[in-house]
Amino acid sequence: MKRLIAVFAAALMILAIAAPAMGQAAVRIHLIHGIPDTAVDVYVDDAVVFENFNFGDTQDLSSLAGETLVNLQVKLAGTDTVAIDAGDVALPASGNYSIIANLDAAGTPTLTVFENDTSAIAAGEGRLQVRHTAAAPAVDVKADGAVAFSNLSNPNEAKADLPAATYSVEVVPTGADEPVVIGPADIAVNDGDSLIVYAVGSLEAGSLTVLTETITGLGQTPTEVPSGNSPVESGFPMAAMAGMAIIASLAAGGGLALARRSN
Amino acid sequence: MKRTTAALALVTALFAAACSSAEPASNPTGPGSAAMTITTTAPATAAPDTTSTVVAPPATTQESVSPLAARVTPIGSAAYDPAEHRNDAPVPTSISIDEINVASAPVVDVGVEDNGDMELPGAEAVGWYRYNAIPGEPGSSVLSAHISYNGSNGVFRYLSDVEPGDVVSVGYDDGSAATFEVVEVAQYDKQELPLDRIFDKDGGPVLTLITCGGDFNSSLRSYEDNFVAYAVPIDA
Repeated sequence: MKRLIAVFAAALMILAIAAPAMGQAAVRIHLIHGIPDTAVDVYVDDAVVFENFNFGDTQDLSSLAGETLVNLQVKLAGTDTVAIDAGDVALPASGNYSIIANLDAAGTPTLTVFENDTSAIAAGEGRLQVRHTAAAPAVDVKADGAVAFSNLSNPNEAKADLPAATYSVEVVPTGADEPVVIGPADIAVNDGDSLIVYAVGSLEAGSLTVLTETITGLGQTPTEVPSGNSPVESGFPMAAMAGMAIIASLAAGGGLALARRSN
Repeated sequence: MKRTTAALALVTALFAAACSSAEPASNPTGPGSAAMTITTTAPATAAPDTTSTVVAPPATTQESVSPLAARVTPIGSAAYDPAEHRNDAPVPTSISIDEINVASAPVVDVGVEDNGDMELPGAEAVGWYRYNAIPGEPGSSVLSAHISYNGSNGVFRYLSDVEPGDVVSVGYDDGSAATFEVVEVAQYDKQELPLDRIFDKDGGPVLTLITCGGDFNSSLRSYEDNFVAYAVPIDA
């Protein structure tokens, strides 16, 4: 728990000082199909944009940034049955967004828009963003056995920058240890990447699972490579330095500072 | 009235689509079909009676394709793939550079210090930055060792003597080994260390060996410069 607080505090600090991410395209808009077992066709203004869009498939809409998708409709594939009637959808002109076709908490198909956090990530860390987009009650997300995100409900997200590593992640009902409704699954949080994990599907239908997407290139390098702390000339170092430390510690006041520096 | 405008807009849109003849190439639903739909939209409104014979044709496979279709790109599946989340690739455990008498020096994986510095082991070992590439994989694989640590020579005491053409061999924890040839050496002021190059993740496979050098600042117990040797895989 203590460790978790530290992680969050660190994440907050990083967010506070982080400059806007470098090297990212000005706009990125992805559309993800997050409804299991439901192939669909997507229409704009009564004309089909793509057909037979299947669970997990992703479409890049970046080139449509800033435009309005008039009368966006998601129909069951090959039919006129409208599953999602989204109306006019204005796409942002810039930024990094994910749009997911998913089930709301009650199981009704809907579109949910998330803005992705592309702020810089400290060296040695990766970002984990977890989004509840499933027909299921609120959940806790556990990483390596400890609750990492608590009481996450549809359509919300939680995120943290974590030491880059592979975590065993499982999803349980809020406040409970079981049943484990998703996982345990290995989730690799890579240095400099933001891994976005969507909980999708339906608890009732037994189709809960996860989808993932990754935003790369948000990381930073170490600032320095300190590969030497003593001079190479002759055999002088050890004895001489010890002598110097003694002299330094004899000097009133300044001794401590010197000793610490030479640490 | 509204309908007419909509129909007109549709016609214009389709016209625009038809004029820019290059785009249907990436359209899987067939390029020519777009223009056909204009005829089907108009009469449909007048025929709510299902018994009418004219209703049948428009209800068939004819479908208008959005001009947006050519501008969206499928980019694969977001399905969770366990293989992407498992890393059982062999990691480096030893390094040898004959020219500077480095013989099977141990390699340990290291990360970042709280102050942002790259972590380093003691005098006897070489640190492999675990957040970059494994030696031989795409991107820069960073291996650093001390020139001198607490008065003892570090493994990279003589890295500054390495020259292009020298061979570096790396052993891995699965018993395998790979060899690299030094292609470039450089000495940088620490303030001007090309961190983006040294810690590059996207380029071709490079083994980047680093130690310290230049003047030693005894009050900071630090060197002014870094020596860097870049090596590339030798094809087996």
